[in-house]
Amino acid sequence: MASEEAYRREFQVKGGDFANAGAAACAIKELLKEFGLSPRTVRRAAVAAYEAEMNVIMYARKARIGLAVTPREVRLVVDDRGPGIADVELAMTEGYSTATAEMRELGFGAGMGLPNIKKNSDRFEIVSEPGRGTRLDILIRTNGHVTS
Amino acid sequence: MNETKTPPNNFHAIHITGDKCIGCVHCLSACPTRAIRVQDGRARIIDQLCIDCAECLRVCPHDAIRSHTTSFAALDAFAYKVAIPSTVLYGQFGSSVLPNEILSALRRIGFDEVYDLSSICELNCAATEEYLNDHPRPRPYITSTCPVVVRIIQRRYPSLCGQILPIEPPREIAAKILRTILPKSLGLPPEKIGIIHITPCPAKMVSINSPATLARSYLDGAISIRDIFPQLVKALRKTEEDALMRHLFPETLFSGIGMGWSLSGGEVRGLKSHRALAVSGVVDTMRVLDQVEGGLLQDIDLLECTVCPDGCVGGPLEVENRFLAKSRILELVAAAGEHAVVDQKDVSRLYHRNFLSFDHPVSPAEPRPLDPDPARAIRKAKLRDRVFAGLPRKDCGVCGAPDCLTLAEDIARGYARLEDCPFARPNATPKARKAAARPKSARGKEGR
Repeated sequence: MASEEAYRREFQVKGGDFANAGAAACAIKELLKEFGLSPRTVRRAAVAAYEAEMNVIMYARKARIGLAVTPREVRLVVDDRGPGIADVELAMTEGYSTATAEMRELGFGAGMGLPNIKKNSDRFEIVSEPGRGTRLDILIRTNGHVTS
Repeated sequence: MNETKTPPNNFHAIHITGDKCIGCVHCLSACPTRAIRVQDGRARIIDQLCIDCAECLRVCPHDAIRSHTTSFAALDAFAYKVAIPSTVLYGQFGSSVLPNEILSALRRIGFDEVYDLSSICELNCAATEEYLNDHPRPRPYITSTCPVVVRIIQRRYPSLCGQILPIEPPREIAAKILRTILPKSLGLPPEKIGIIHITPCPAKMVSINSPATLARSYLDGAISIRDIFPQLVKALRKTEEDALMRHLFPETLFSGIGMGWSLSGGEVRGLKSHRALAVSGVVDTMRVLDQVEGGLLQDIDLLECTVCPDGCVGGPLEVENRFLAKSRILELVAAAGEHAVVDQKDVSRLYHRNFLSFDHPVSPAEPRPLDPDPARAIRKAKLRDRVFAGLPRKDCGVCGAPDCLTLAEDIARGYARLEDCPFARPNATPKARKAAARPKSARGKEGR
């Protein structure tokens, strides 16, 4: 259906680029507000995008964040080139973190990133290949809640 | 003092004077919310986007942007006039002029009574501490002293409305106390008593005329420091003998904790057991609020944001440059030391009676999506992106929009046309050109 055709955008994120940390998540948030999605949907997506972007900046070499939005759902696919995650189940545990002292100094690495993404999404898939990279597929349903 | 007829939730303190504006682009690029357009050779402000930060007023080279504050003459409407000046006022004079002299000069120029705000600032800080102790979540709470910050949150960060700490700022608390006590002690009807703030910024007029958290403001108006300064200087000169008295017999007790309130970090300096963060400047405030909306900074208990650089001391309506004013206030803070003037028992009593609380929480402003229908909004966003791809990205402002992206958005909304850009490349897709060439609709309805 034409009206259901998704809005798509792609963002490039570079590992270690702390100067631009949060830029993609912010742009995503602004777009969702322009679409008139509910503040709750916008906030959940913003939190998920922020956590995912920070993971890339802290651990990966680079990533593509793909955004696809329809009135029904927000989908974020984060595809990174990086070390991957050896034990995904462990990484999904709240409080588990491999962050360095420097990252913690900056206020990151509380081990809440991936669990927080899961908490703020309606469907969350993670596939990781150690030595190659990680792919997150995040879906947030709008449940028809719009601001108007 | 509702001098204008705008709806109560949409009063603006910043206005463009038509005959002075020459339609240049200085204000366009200075506006942090991209609320200004130049149309028909004149700048116009889009009401729903303007947050009254006065960045435009600071940069206008033609003095064409006016702030709407209370005139001194308007006070004649009151039989009894009370001034509660911002502590910024103490920083507008040299080191030899003490706060007490400034307060008595205010009496000399026509105020029946003048009250210092530093003690109420201390009271606010103590009440904030109690509130944070009682409410472990959410984090961070955000202070509401700066009316522009409240407006930014309502308009751009609606999901953070519930994180505004619901204790009224010192100027409203002071006015509420006086409004409760003075009619009885003076034997005057309340409407005969005018309670006036003396302000370094026009935004206080927003919280007075369109209060976000009160049914009605307790203040009757706000006079700008700049407007009242010449009279104050004259009144100060006449009082050399008086000054000797004030130096030897100071009558007002100033709070060391409250004295530095107008400097960035001043609101949170008195907190004993909470982690606080102070941000100043409108761009940095928005950057930090973006982070809060992204779920960061949850280890911070209280976030103090003020949109003027260095805090209220950087307000656009002060006279002294903000560096000198800051230096003078720091002297006064040092002189007052950690001197506390407020009794914790009074704070607790007022706090538990909800005397210091908001009447109601801050509510989000009407959102401004590209279209009320998300499916159509998504189509308009795609059109916007296609139009943007054909624009030069020089952000020159010649089209009347502050930058190319905003022009593309205005075209998608139907407020502008591609022809407004003299440099638009013809290689934009035919569909985009066709849509962008549609006649402008509702143009002129936007902007004041």
